[in-house]
Amino acid sequence: DVLASPSGINALLIGAYAALDGQNVGNGTPWGSSVSNWIWGSVMGTDASKGSYAGDQQGMNEIFNYQSSTSNSFFEDKWKADYEGISRCNNVLKVLPQITTMSTADTTNIAAQAKFLRAHYYFDLKKMFNMVPWIDETTTDYNQPNNTDVWPNIEADFSYAYDNLPETQSEAGRANKWAAGAYLGKAYLYQGKYADAKTIFDNIIANGKTSLGVKYDLFTNFEDNWRPEDEATSPEAVFPVEMTANAGSFDNANYGDMLNFPYGNSPFGCCGFYQPRQDLVNSYRTDANGLPYLDTYNDHAVKSDMGIGSGQPFTPDAGNLDPRLDWTAGRRGLPFNDWGIHPGADWIRDQAYAGPYANKKNIYWQVTPQFHDGSSWAPGSAINYLVIRFSDVLLMAAECHAQTDDLAGAQALVNKVRNRAANKSGWLYKYKDDSDPTGGFSTTPAANYVISPYPAGYFSNKDIALKAIYFERKLELAMEGHRFFDLVRWGIAESTINAFLTYQKPFSADIATASKFVAPKNNYFPIPQNEIDITTVNGEKTLTQNPGY
Amino acid sequence: KVTSAKDGSPIGFATVTVKGTNVGTSSDADGNFSLTMPAGSTTLVISSVGYATIEVDASSGSVNVVLSESSSSLDEIIVTGYTSQKKKDITGSVSVVNVEEMNKLPTSQINNQLQGQAAGVTVIGSGQPGETPQVRIRGINTFGNNNPLYVVDGVPTGNINDLNPNDVASLQVLKDAGAASIYGSRANNGVIIITTKRGRGKTSVTYDGYYGQQVVKRGNPWNMLNPQENADLTYLAYRNDGLEPTTYYSLYGSGDKPVLPDYIAPAGAKEGDPSVNPDLYYVNPNYTDASELGSFHRIIKANKAGTDWFHEMNKDAPMQSHNVTVSGGSDKNSYLFSFNYLDQQGTVIYTYQKKYAVRVNTQFSIGDRIRVGENLSYTINNNPQITPLTEGGFIGYAMREMPIIPVYDIMGNFAGNYGAALGNAFNPVATAYRTRNDKGLGSRLFGAGYVDVDLIKGLTLHSQFGGEVYSGYYHSFGYPTYENTENTTSNTYYEGSNWGYNWTWTNTLTYHRTFGKHDVQLMAGTEAYYETGENIDAWNRDYFSFDPNYTTLNTGTYASPSVSSGRYYGSLWSPIIARLDYQFNEKYIISGVFRHDGSSKFTPTHKYGNFPAVTVGWRISQEKFMESVKWINELKLRAGWGIMGNQINVFQNNQYATYNGDKGSSFYDIGGTNSSLVQGFKTGQVPNEDTKWEKDINSNIGVDATLFNNKLNFTLDYYQKNIKDLLFNPPLPGTAGNGTAPYVNIAQMHTNGWDGSISYHGNITRDLQFDLGFNLTSYKNEIIKVSNTSDYFFTGDSRRFGNNFIINQVGQPVNEFYGYKVLGYFNTQAEIDALNDAASKATNGEVTTYEQDAGLGRFKYADVNGDGYISDDDRTYIGNPNPDFTYGINIGLTYKAFDFSAFFFGTQGNEIWNNVKYWTDLFPTFVGAKSKTALYDSWTPEHTNASAPMVSSNSYFSTAGVASSWYVQNGSYLRCKYMVLGYTLGANNLGKTGIQSLRVYVQAANLFTITKYAGVDPEINSSAGDDTQSRDFGVDEGSYANPKQFIIGLNVKF
Repeated sequence: DVLASPSGINALLIGAYAALDGQNVGNGTPWGSSVSNWIWGSVMGTDASKGSYAGDQQGMNEIFNYQSSTSNSFFEDKWKADYEGISRCNNVLKVLPQITTMSTADTTNIAAQAKFLRAHYYFDLKKMFNMVPWIDETTTDYNQPNNTDVWPNIEADFSYAYDNLPETQSEAGRANKWAAGAYLGKAYLYQGKYADAKTIFDNIIANGKTSLGVKYDLFTNFEDNWRPEDEATSPEAVFPVEMTANAGSFDNANYGDMLNFPYGNSPFGCCGFYQPRQDLVNSYRTDANGLPYLDTYNDHAVKSDMGIGSGQPFTPDAGNLDPRLDWTAGRRGLPFNDWGIHPGADWIRDQAYAGPYANKKNIYWQVTPQFHDGSSWAPGSAINYLVIRFSDVLLMAAECHAQTDDLAGAQALVNKVRNRAANKSGWLYKYKDDSDPTGGFSTTPAANYVISPYPAGYFSNKDIALKAIYFERKLELAMEGHRFFDLVRWGIAESTINAFLTYQKPFSADIATASKFVAPKNNYFPIPQNEIDITTVNGEKTLTQNPGY
Repeated sequence: KVTSAKDGSPIGFATVTVKGTNVGTSSDADGNFSLTMPAGSTTLVISSVGYATIEVDASSGSVNVVLSESSSSLDEIIVTGYTSQKKKDITGSVSVVNVEEMNKLPTSQINNQLQGQAAGVTVIGSGQPGETPQVRIRGINTFGNNNPLYVVDGVPTGNINDLNPNDVASLQVLKDAGAASIYGSRANNGVIIITTKRGRGKTSVTYDGYYGQQVVKRGNPWNMLNPQENADLTYLAYRNDGLEPTTYYSLYGSGDKPVLPDYIAPAGAKEGDPSVNPDLYYVNPNYTDASELGSFHRIIKANKAGTDWFHEMNKDAPMQSHNVTVSGGSDKNSYLFSFNYLDQQGTVIYTYQKKYAVRVNTQFSIGDRIRVGENLSYTINNNPQITPLTEGGFIGYAMREMPIIPVYDIMGNFAGNYGAALGNAFNPVATAYRTRNDKGLGSRLFGAGYVDVDLIKGLTLHSQFGGEVYSGYYHSFGYPTYENTENTTSNTYYEGSNWGYNWTWTNTLTYHRTFGKHDVQLMAGTEAYYETGENIDAWNRDYFSFDPNYTTLNTGTYASPSVSSGRYYGSLWSPIIARLDYQFNEKYIISGVFRHDGSSKFTPTHKYGNFPAVTVGWRISQEKFMESVKWINELKLRAGWGIMGNQINVFQNNQYATYNGDKGSSFYDIGGTNSSLVQGFKTGQVPNEDTKWEKDINSNIGVDATLFNNKLNFTLDYYQKNIKDLLFNPPLPGTAGNGTAPYVNIAQMHTNGWDGSISYHGNITRDLQFDLGFNLTSYKNEIIKVSNTSDYFFTGDSRRFGNNFIINQVGQPVNEFYGYKVLGYFNTQAEIDALNDAASKATNGEVTTYEQDAGLGRFKYADVNGDGYISDDDRTYIGNPNPDFTYGINIGLTYKAFDFSAFFFGTQGNEIWNNVKYWTDLFPTFVGAKSKTALYDSWTPEHTNASAPMVSSNSYFSTAGVASSWYVQNGSYLRCKYMVLGYTLGANNLGKTGIQSLRVYVQAANLFTITKYAGVDPEINSSAGDDTQSRDFGVDEGSYANPKQFIIGLNVKF
């Protein structure tokens, strides 16, 4: 076997990493399989609308209207991309024992990276579909049933990686011990094993570092997480998926998120997808003390330019806001990175359909054109997608502390995240000159930012603590593909999403006829019908459909 | 001398042989011949195409032979696989095409000319010059490539696109196993045998040429709205939704009624607005820095009258063809040289075909026993093509670009949809214009050299070495765009080339003897085939200048330019090819063929396959008891059975496990550089070592008859094909990863049908004669098995729906349309409520709505499974693009020197998925040009008998969201393919000009079409010319329509 050599096995391992972005690996649409899970985590989790236009990517419509049929091909896009990733990990593990010329340390490192990646792909499948078949390097018959929970396998792979990966790696993109630890902790958390998770998270917070040896910490500025120039020195990137611009292949340039840029006469051109919801924007409202309205945020709605043409006057909301809002949602009248003042409707494809806001976390900057890939009809960028970043670890740890009744510890962790947001250097400021957006920012905040940490003793009981932690995750990690899966594991998806629908439906045509979210059915997506059909052996189905479908 | 019974004119090139020997010659252009009779022979057999063969006694030394025209083609010598036979002796199913009729269609492609000319052959093409049509012999045999095998002068090939139609002497279609199994592993899809012309007689020069104009459809073929109507429709859509349109659409002012703006860039500006001052205008169409795009100040006047994008893209275009043939020969040697120049401009702008073809065919005799010869053609082809039938093509853009957008802005740069919410289609004229400097050239040398040796009496050795050498080259440039909403800001140069060759070496021995009443012909041989080829494609970006003289691969400045290349090779080896034809007393015929074939695509265990066939024939008309039935000249019954093979879909590496990698799918920036990738690998081919031949077990019965004093010819065949071990690559389960699924012998298919032809030749007066011909092709296809694990698979593109709508399902024909069946519209709320109540009752309250998004004026789908409500399970078969039958009608009339002929082609019972409606008749399917149907014939409470659902700005499950039968339309049509009126001047009238004959003609092609299909052209080729085409056809998303052609032509013979 020509690949049974140190360089060959490394190339197979690189192939396993290359499947992370979900692009050109499963033959489906780029969007369904995107590593960012923007449809599955964020659109389904009420962060955002599909955006764009009713007739565009119609296949998504029935999904976020909670009416999907099992044959919708977007599900299979995800399924196939993850299993292709798994297949590549298995290739590494299959060929590895044939190599005799490599040191034990190197062999173990490679096996551990492969298992780490495999566990990542299974984790993604697990949270999407719940019951999925387990395929490993020993599998020869791929018609495997989905009748066994794969959590133990995921834990085993992550544990192996956590126990065997080195603390640092030669290259930034390789997973290290601490990334594996964070993911293992996350796997425990998803299963409610809070004590196990807490032990790991505490160790990571105390000792963790990136693959390049930078001690884990929060970036000084929230927005630095989406600046390619800062990626190498990032203390916050626990597990990044490396993206490139202009490297000869658009597939590596956030292809799966290429639709998610402002439309119209914006400098991006396409395609107006992935628009933050009013419900999300309202969540950033803060009270006089700089704290969020955990239950009543929609009673304090942020003023929007819905129904107001770009030519008509509009003054942005003047109330108290969490500064993270304006690095999360592009709003009319505020600087949109260094691309100019967001003009509202002119950059929106169909306000009546999907609202007035623009996605912001994947927007590249005009002053760094090297991170923009213009080789396709919609933009690409080199902005990494962070599967786990350190503030996520802090908030997961906070959850574990709260669940294990260390409320003060939990509050300290949440406040660490809020304190970073409160750091004025990380706020959005008005341009020095609106007509020269690349000329730099002034010292006048772009909106009325008021944010504070929770005062001592605020986490007075577990319920309040958890409510605040859940809400902090919404604010901190919005539009990053996590929310739906959080809601489901917290057991509040049905109540939260139906409340959201009640609020948002009347002014969002895209969900005007949405069905109610029904648990447990809608907690998981259907096993793709085509996969059930093509694994039917002698009339017997190998795969069992999820309940309710 | 050989003359015609009709008018006494000499018959050139008649074949004259001495009966029972190989000695023969042919008549010259004046009908004269001479040959030396072997001792003991006195009888000559004289035959010529179109005349009845006769035997004459030549013992007197000089004979005048008068041949009667034979409308019976039964005496023609037909080249079949590796041998030739008289048609009356053929027991397999063979269609003989009238080449003269076929050549009347003005096109560069023989395949296009074949349409409707042969029973059993279905051809569907398009109006694009040089585009390969879909050719099916007896329907569909496999899920992959269904293209027939072509055998040109004995050389098998897959491609006759560049063969000069004027060079064809005869064309036969081998349809059943009895005829085609001799080609073994490549016979499954049928075989088309083409023989090119040879020289005979005195040196002659002929010129055939025509010049004509291709005329596109006039009027408003897409039935489009004008800009004001489009604006009205927009307002109607929002108002139907209860929304105030001006809130969401600012271009048309703020009034109650939409008012067209004077300018669309700056959006909505009025005349006199300071922003439309031309001094502010700035557009640099050749910008190289993406950031410059932001500084452009575009000024585009609204085209209030409306841009006719159909006719901006489709223009009348000229075409011409000139062909010169020089030929001559004696009974010993012959030569033919031909040159053809074809220049066909496409009716879609910037498409064309320019083709140069030369041919040299020669044969020389060495002594009495040895003949050597060659047939060679060399073709140079310059043929830029576009991809029709796709949303993102030239034609797709043209049907979606809004009419308020002019072609050009105020300074003559391109206008587009930038900035004014005018949709996302690209300016199609700009898109086409940007291809103007793209160049490509293909060339091919095709042919063979051979030697025939008469070993002993009746035994001939034939050895032939032939094949092709081809190469191609192209370069193209991707310009940055500036006029669109969705602009490409980079500039890219592409360049690539390919070359390859293949050869076939054939050796056969043929033995033909007559022993009393027994006639025996035996053929045995071997054949070897080898093919190889390579290609390279490269691109670079970031050019300082876009001057075509400057842009090369090395003048781009991109950091990671790309080069990719590949190669392939493969071989076939056939140690045994054998054929036996036996006749008793010219009454009973039995014929058997056998071929043993090996392919490098299979593992040694499965390398070889056996392909036998047996046919029998009974010439009833030769029986004593038929002698009294005078009106029957010839009556033959035929039957046959055999196995044909197929392996064309399998790739060489099917049997091997491979790893591969490329930047897009398996390279990764492991170092976090943001700009460079490290090589990685993934699973390539998933192997299957058990793959073997696909087998088509084929049976055929047929009858041939010639009646009423040879005036009526009649042939009818019924066939059945059982395709076993059908090679298919069923999709692997996702759990297996995304490697290339191997072809396995898993599927099964059944196809049966009828094909037949009838022709009649008659005289009304001595001067007025007529010919009528009719042929018919039908096939009925049923999938028996798809794979071990699934009984269906989807193919094609899901277009803009969430599900694919082309299904291949067991029990159904291939490529069937699949989706929800539309019963009508929901016309009243009471109707919806009643259905919802019924759904609740049927499901005990579990389901409370009959249909998702049910609403007034939306589609009511059929509850196919009867569970009371609409779900995924209610999708059903809603249309079949396979025709019930196709047919051709030939009409010929001659009156003195005038000739008139007309040819009609029709297809019946097929359905078309009219995806154009998706774009033009539904409002929410992207902002774009919409049709009059949407505005004037959509559902309203007062107009419930509507052609489209209620106009809405939203897309619903119950409207545009899913694939439904609303898109399916009757695709039957009858088309007048051509009408020709010619006038011939014979040598008598031409005096001493040296011209022997001269014919001028006028012709109209595609003159009219009778169809109910609402689209531009009911003839829909498959969208891709690749091997999946048989699984994805009949979908119209903007076709390259067949234009009318008006031609004047000249045939001169010197």
